[in-house]
Amino acid sequence: MDVLPNEEEQMIRNSAREFFETECPTSLVREMEKSDKGYSEELWSKMSEVGWLSLAIPESYGGSGFGMTTLGIVMSETGRVLAPVPFHSTMTASLAISDFGSDKQKQDILPLVADGNQILTWAFSEEDPRYLPETITTSGELKGDQLVINGTKMFVDNFEASDQVIIVCRTSTEDDPRDGITVCIADTNNSAFTSVPLTTIAKDKQSRVEIRNLSVSKDSIIGEIGKGWPLVSDMLNKSTALLCAQLVGAARKDSEIAIDYAKNRTAFGRPIAAFQSVSHMCADMTIWVDGCELLTFEALWKMDQDLPYSIEVSQAKSFCNEKCLATARTSQVIHGGMGFMMEFDLHLWYRRIAAWTMRLGTTYEHRKKIASALIAHDGPVRLGMNLEAVNI
Amino acid sequence: MDFAYTTEQENLRQEVQAFISENVTEEIRTEIEQFGSRQNRGSLTSGLYKKISDMGWIGISWPKEYGGQGGSRIDQYIVEEEFSRIGVQVGGAGSGAPAILAAGTEEQKKYFLPGMISGDISFALGFTEPQGGADLAGLQCRAVRDGDDFVINGQKMYTTAAHYATHVYLMARTDPDAPKHKGISIFLIPMDTPGITVRPLWTIQNEPKAPHKTTYGDDRTNETFFENVRIPASAMLGEENQGWYVGAMGLNLDRVGASRYLLSVRRDEDIINWTKENSLGNYQLTDDPSVTDRLADLWIDGQVCRLMTLRSMSMVERGETFTYEGSAEKIWAPEHGVRTTESVSQMLGLYGQLLNGSEDNIEDGVFAHNLMGAFQSGINHGSVQVMKDQVSRRGLGLPRG
Ligand SMILES: Cc1cc2nc3c(=O)[nH]c(=O)nc-3n(C[C@H](O)[C@H](O)[C@H](O)COP(=O)(O)OP(=O)(O)OC[C@H]3O[C@@H](n4cnc5c(N)ncnc54)[C@H](O)[C@@H]3O)c2cc1C
Repeated sequence: MDVLPNEEEQMIRNSAREFFETECPTSLVREMEKSDKGYSEELWSKMSEVGWLSLAIPESYGGSGFGMTTLGIVMSETGRVLAPVPFHSTMTASLAISDFGSDKQKQDILPLVADGNQILTWAFSEEDPRYLPETITTSGELKGDQLVINGTKMFVDNFEASDQVIIVCRTSTEDDPRDGITVCIADTNNSAFTSVPLTTIAKDKQSRVEIRNLSVSKDSIIGEIGKGWPLVSDMLNKSTALLCAQLVGAARKDSEIAIDYAKNRTAFGRPIAAFQSVSHMCADMTIWVDGCELLTFEALWKMDQDLPYSIEVSQAKSFCNEKCLATARTSQVIHGGMGFMMEFDLHLWYRRIAAWTMRLGTTYEHRKKIASALIAHDGPVRLGMNLEAVNI
Repeated sequence: MDFAYTTEQENLRQEVQAFISENVTEEIRTEIEQFGSRQNRGSLTSGLYKKISDMGWIGISWPKEYGGQGGSRIDQYIVEEEFSRIGVQVGGAGSGAPAILAAGTEEQKKYFLPGMISGDISFALGFTEPQGGADLAGLQCRAVRDGDDFVINGQKMYTTAAHYATHVYLMARTDPDAPKHKGISIFLIPMDTPGITVRPLWTIQNEPKAPHKTTYGDDRTNETFFENVRIPASAMLGEENQGWYVGAMGLNLDRVGASRYLLSVRRDEDIINWTKENSLGNYQLTDDPSVTDRLADLWIDGQVCRLMTLRSMSMVERGETFTYEGSAEKIWAPEHGVRTTESVSQMLGLYGQLLNGSEDNIEDGVFAHNLMGAFQSGINHGSVQVMKDQVSRRGLGLPRG
């Protein structure tokens, strides 16, 4: 038991921090908000050179085989600087492939990801925005050795920038909505897709993607046909934990900007930090983000240990949703009017943190999952115990 | 990072649990209930404490030469956690031990620490005074040197254990002319020294008497008067006029640990486990989404308490000193404890009011009694406001007001 980062983890964090702070000034973040692609190709290729893209890819597929904890540390650093790169969506999809793909799928895709030559995304959500199997209505129909897909996917990250997309569809309707879910991977460069950009508060790229008669080979199915839910659930959990790491990094930085501002801004003849109502807000932000960080890394660490982690992920996400947004809002308050001004950088953090808290599970969705597990658990519960999620 | 216990530690936990189910009988539970949860014990509880001490489970992390096991702080945390859950305090948290270990003379360490382990010595904390506790350095109780002795005059407030402790760990002013932090010394004084009198102060949580599962269940604290109390200079802990630094360091280490965090989070587990097994007439709380949402919320906040405590333990284990982490724990846990008790009262509604001994109460009124006292853990041993000052000044380098 030692919940602090060890030497290797600290080293990775330090070098990631140095890299991202050097390579990703806020001017780049602003520039990319306005660009069509929405991401910096230059930063992406530098990330692959340094090895951040290959970090969590197994060694046998051209990566360096680090686990989720390490990936989370780096993800946190990208969150800190709000790096405008499709790192989160690419990692989400490549983890699913590396955990559940066939050897051929891994060979085809993972080395390209490691080299920075393949951007990935994933399409789960539909009109009903909850992260539940019953929300999946996009249909998949087997015709010979082709899978033909029709439907509408919502809130797809970086679709235009991506080379391939993981699609979650329904190949049959069964009593249990978890049955009949199929997952496949497809080239985005296909006329069956029509993507419509959405305007998010994060000013990043999400789209509604309409799929009309997309035909892919059976070989693009990840896992087994009709039995895709466990894979999806795992992908969502890992993606959520990584988003928490990103939130932690962003909220930490946001709080540091406010703390620094409070030391320098004066009012009534003294630094505003000398007012207790301000300094205590600074203390609160620090404690909140600490809590987010501890919950997030416990979840990531459990993934690396093959322990159950779904409840830990929900704990982290619902806490991050509330506390990272509270941190970002508090930082705004400490900045007075300036935080509200477009020309000042602070809103870059506020807007992204806010959007991320709405993605991959709301506070209520995650708490519901936790409550069900607590109630379903046979016998008394105890903090720190391993709890199994219900119906996942 | 490593969020797991070692196999040895898991075994230790099982051993403690087995010990508890074998030795903590219904009679002992009743007696604990009668006497309160802390060192204030009846004869059965004293026997239990002796057995625990024979197992080597008190002061595990203290050095061998002073009767401890030289073990890890995590081991001690595990033992504390298990015993705290049944309302028995074994950790030595709040005991002054860290300060004695850090600043005591060889003689003091050899005398006090084994005595604290065997249960023959216990301390009341004599810090707070009538004019204030948050501004501790403003204390006025005087210790005046007279040859090889000191003579003490003054009054201490809320000396909680004073009516049963063998000693008082006293902060007094030895140099009234020095700046306020630089004229304080600490003394370890036997309670039976002539000139010490103790008057009870009864707490609002204990009329009627709280059931023992109540956290902060002490039914009384005290005010203690010192009138020409003469003690040898050898009773001083650390150097003369360095008492502030010795005391602050000791307090920082005494604030953290399993028993402290469990004060606040035991109720999370209790209410969840209660709703799993019970209903209020036809009302099944676990079927009510507004209740279950809140239960999950409290559970998550409770996990944060646990993790913050483990972070403090990890730092102690590494030999690192806190900049703000101990204070963070001492803010989050009590604030969370308040959220829990207040939420629970809204879950139980009308039944939430009923105290111990009342007809129709729930679990002997434990939740009602908890509501009467949860907020005070955000006052004692470093108030939340003072702790937030510490986080902002020491942790974040913010200027003083
Ligand atoms: C049940 C119980 C047991 C206790 N046991 C012991 C014990 O064994 N030994 C012992 O020595 N003491 C003990 N205490 C005393 C406890 O430590 C003090 O109550 C505490 O330090 C606060 O001091 P006070 O009550 O004098 O309040 P005050 O110091 O008068 O403070 C009143 C309020 O003002 C706030 N405040 C004060 N200064 C500031 C500031 N600078 N900024 C913002 N807010 C501020 C405080 O946080 C508090 O909310 C105990 C208290 C209780 C309730």
